[in-house]
Amino acid sequence: MSKMLMIYPNKCTGCRNCELACSFEHGGSFRPGATRVHTFTWEREGFAVPLMCQQCDDAACVNVCPTGAMHHGPAGSNLVELDASLCIGCKLCVIACPFGSARYDSVTKSIAKCDTCAGAPQCVAMCPNAALEFVEDAEQTRSRKQIVADKFKTIFEDVN
Amino acid sequence: MLIKYFATFRDLTKENSLVLTDAPTNIAELLELLSVRYGAAFRAAVFENGELSSVMILLVNGRNVRITGGLATPVSPDDEVSVFPMVAGG
Amino acid sequence: MNGWIGTTLRVDLTRGTIKREPTNMKVAHDYIGARGMGVKIISDEVDPSVDALGPDNKLVFAPGPFTGTFAPSAGRYNVITKSPLNGTIAGSNSGGVFGPELKFAGYDALIIEGQAKKPVYLWIKNDVVEIRDASAIWGMTVADTTEALREQTDPDAKVACIGPAGENLSLIASIMNEMHRAAGRTGVGAVMGSKKLKAIAVIGTGEITVADPDAFKAAVMDARGKIQANPVGGAGLKAYGTDVLVNILNQSGALPVNNWQDAYSPAADKIGGESLAANQLVRPKGCFACIISCGRATKVTNPLYAGVGEGPEYESAWAFGVDSGIDNLDAVIKANYLCNEYGIDTISMGSTIACAMELYELGLLTKKDTDGLDLSFGNAAVMVEMVRKTGVGEGFGKRLQEGSYRLADSVGRPDLSMTVKKQEMPAYDPRGVQGIGLNYATNNRGGCHVRGYTIAVEVLGQGAPTDPHATEGKAALDIVFQDLTSALDSSGSCLFATFGIGGAELAGMLTALTGVEYSLDEFMKIGARIWNLERLWNLKVGYTTADDTLPARLLTEPIKTGPSKGRVNHLDQMLPEYYALRGWDANGVPTPAKLADLAL
Repeated sequence: MSKMLMIYPNKCTGCRNCELACSFEHGGSFRPGATRVHTFTWEREGFAVPLMCQQCDDAACVNVCPTGAMHHGPAGSNLVELDASLCIGCKLCVIACPFGSARYDSVTKSIAKCDTCAGAPQCVAMCPNAALEFVEDAEQTRSRKQIVADKFKTIFEDVN
Repeated sequence: MLIKYFATFRDLTKENSLVLTDAPTNIAELLELLSVRYGAAFRAAVFENGELSSVMILLVNGRNVRITGGLATPVSPDDEVSVFPMVAGG
Repeated sequence: MNGWIGTTLRVDLTRGTIKREPTNMKVAHDYIGARGMGVKIISDEVDPSVDALGPDNKLVFAPGPFTGTFAPSAGRYNVITKSPLNGTIAGSNSGGVFGPELKFAGYDALIIEGQAKKPVYLWIKNDVVEIRDASAIWGMTVADTTEALREQTDPDAKVACIGPAGENLSLIASIMNEMHRAAGRTGVGAVMGSKKLKAIAVIGTGEITVADPDAFKAAVMDARGKIQANPVGGAGLKAYGTDVLVNILNQSGALPVNNWQDAYSPAADKIGGESLAANQLVRPKGCFACIISCGRATKVTNPLYAGVGEGPEYESAWAFGVDSGIDNLDAVIKANYLCNEYGIDTISMGSTIACAMELYELGLLTKKDTDGLDLSFGNAAVMVEMVRKTGVGEGFGKRLQEGSYRLADSVGRPDLSMTVKKQEMPAYDPRGVQGIGLNYATNNRGGCHVRGYTIAVEVLGQGAPTDPHATEGKAALDIVFQDLTSALDSSGSCLFATFGIGGAELAGMLTALTGVEYSLDEFMKIGARIWNLERLWNLKVGYTTADDTLPARLLTEPIKTGPSKGRVNHLDQMLPEYYALRGWDANGVPTPAKLADLAL
């Protein structure tokens, strides 16, 4: 069963626990350059949103990778995976990704891209506001539909 | 008796205050009356295994019932009772 | 080195020198960081008799070991200096992202010395540090300064700065970071202004390492679980913010009204957190690593007070609200926005206006003083205008910017300034809650609620049931809160983490993070060490036991209406016991035995 990361900007408070969890999971320490998720904050407007790899089906990073290091997962998976042993550090994926979600980490001399923590993304686990969810693809829109459904329920309960 | 609701208790009761014409004699009777009026969700918010809920603050004329006798705290028709969930800040 | 970085940055603005020096690790172990480290540095390096606004005062910015990690709600930094408001070794604590960024840039502390000749700002990008000309941004508001510096440095730079109030050396000026977060109290903004330091912009990409990652993660998850299971830490603060306290303090008869002439207001609900959530709240906000989200992104559409920003906190809503006789939450929020823009402490600002209103109604101030404005209680539009005047230092604002003590003293009624050691007391009336009165009277930075928040137990039902009207046991309660908060502030944690966890959890996380063994006893002892070191400074400044008191109104003038009608504070029943339990003599001086026990 395929899962995907869903972002709910309306729930994000800008706390960046996702970044800390990501850095800690991938290196056992806290370092901004190690994180694969980044939160953008508009302070005047009080708005924030986390961004990470979208695991594209037609992935620019895969298309430009000269060694096959960046590749699609096995059949049934919808993830874009990185085989570090094949990576030559050419950074073409960094240049190609339209979301800026493949980054070169100059400390570890490697590409930092979301690997969903092997199916248990720590950004999701540590988000205190459920602004990130890792859901079955069949359920990807369920919580949004639930919100709309709840509103309908309230409206029609009051009418009756 | 004037009952005032605050924070989540306004969502639970769908009102900010209530003038109670019944005459309960203590907090236990009062909460029982109110639970009948507002239903199961309210009851679950004010009672915990038959005792005062540990996540509610109940004031009778400004005094926390936890220091004035808990469920046995006497009440009279002239009293003002304030019902809060646990709140905090600083 | 784990948790700490091992490097301290020292900038001398007189000479224009920048030095990176090793952090004194003995001090780090014994004082943890942040507040404790700053107090130790100021104590060791600054003569208590210096002019707080002169070149010999120093200004320390310090994150703690937790800052920059995912210890829950622990992303804070402290500013420590000699206060220009009252001379105490003071400081203030702020959240946001500035503290973590300073840590990622590679510093346990930043020490600012001297005084620049012309306006400057500090640009820190890891180990590249520059003192830069700030002539073009001097005079700008906080948000404009923040954006201007991001254009001049890096779009992601985190900026701590002063607004016009700090430039004008207002004694109630704050230091702001990320536009809305404030190191608000004790006039720290004026010290920054006196040094002609407009701002610090920082970018950090360094690493904070962990001594025992598995143990740290386990301890963090345990602490998170406890905070999230607490009805307050888990959901209450996020839903309503701290402003939810308006109603419970009012219903308890401890919400000061009209410059503390009373302690109950029938109109309080209009400025409370429920009203805020229903009308102006856009969404909850969290500081760095926060799991509580008490911050309020708000919007006011009422054309008289329209704006977008953050806040208010409970104490701000109280000061601009019922303490000034005002029940218009839109006006209250506007006043809060203006304080954030001009860089002013909301508690002292609102309380000073409330004091001025009482002086005005008594005829001690007239329209000749107030630029022709009617400063009666309840006049919301004039209240907001007074904040603006204070912010820009115009007309009557020049007197308000000195705080309420100097204002009331100038007309011969210092007793009407509701201050302890010249700093305005926050929103909890000690006539209705005895223990908080003792905390105000003994607090090392003057009127302050956070460094000894007994309200959590006396009013909010945390811990064992405790009668707010009783004086018994309050001395011990105050000391526990004061010491715990001193150590907690020094770790980088937010006070609100204590709605869920205590010293044991904090000490456990600190041990796993740093590799230095901290027991609960040691953690609390460090708190006592910091408290006593602050006390020693204040004694050297000239404070005596006579200053460990409350305004006469609270000791002699009974509350007029509401649940605490007829009550006064009985400080005299608590203070001697407090001194004794502290290990201080009858003059409030720590005994040699106590100092030896604390290794001071």
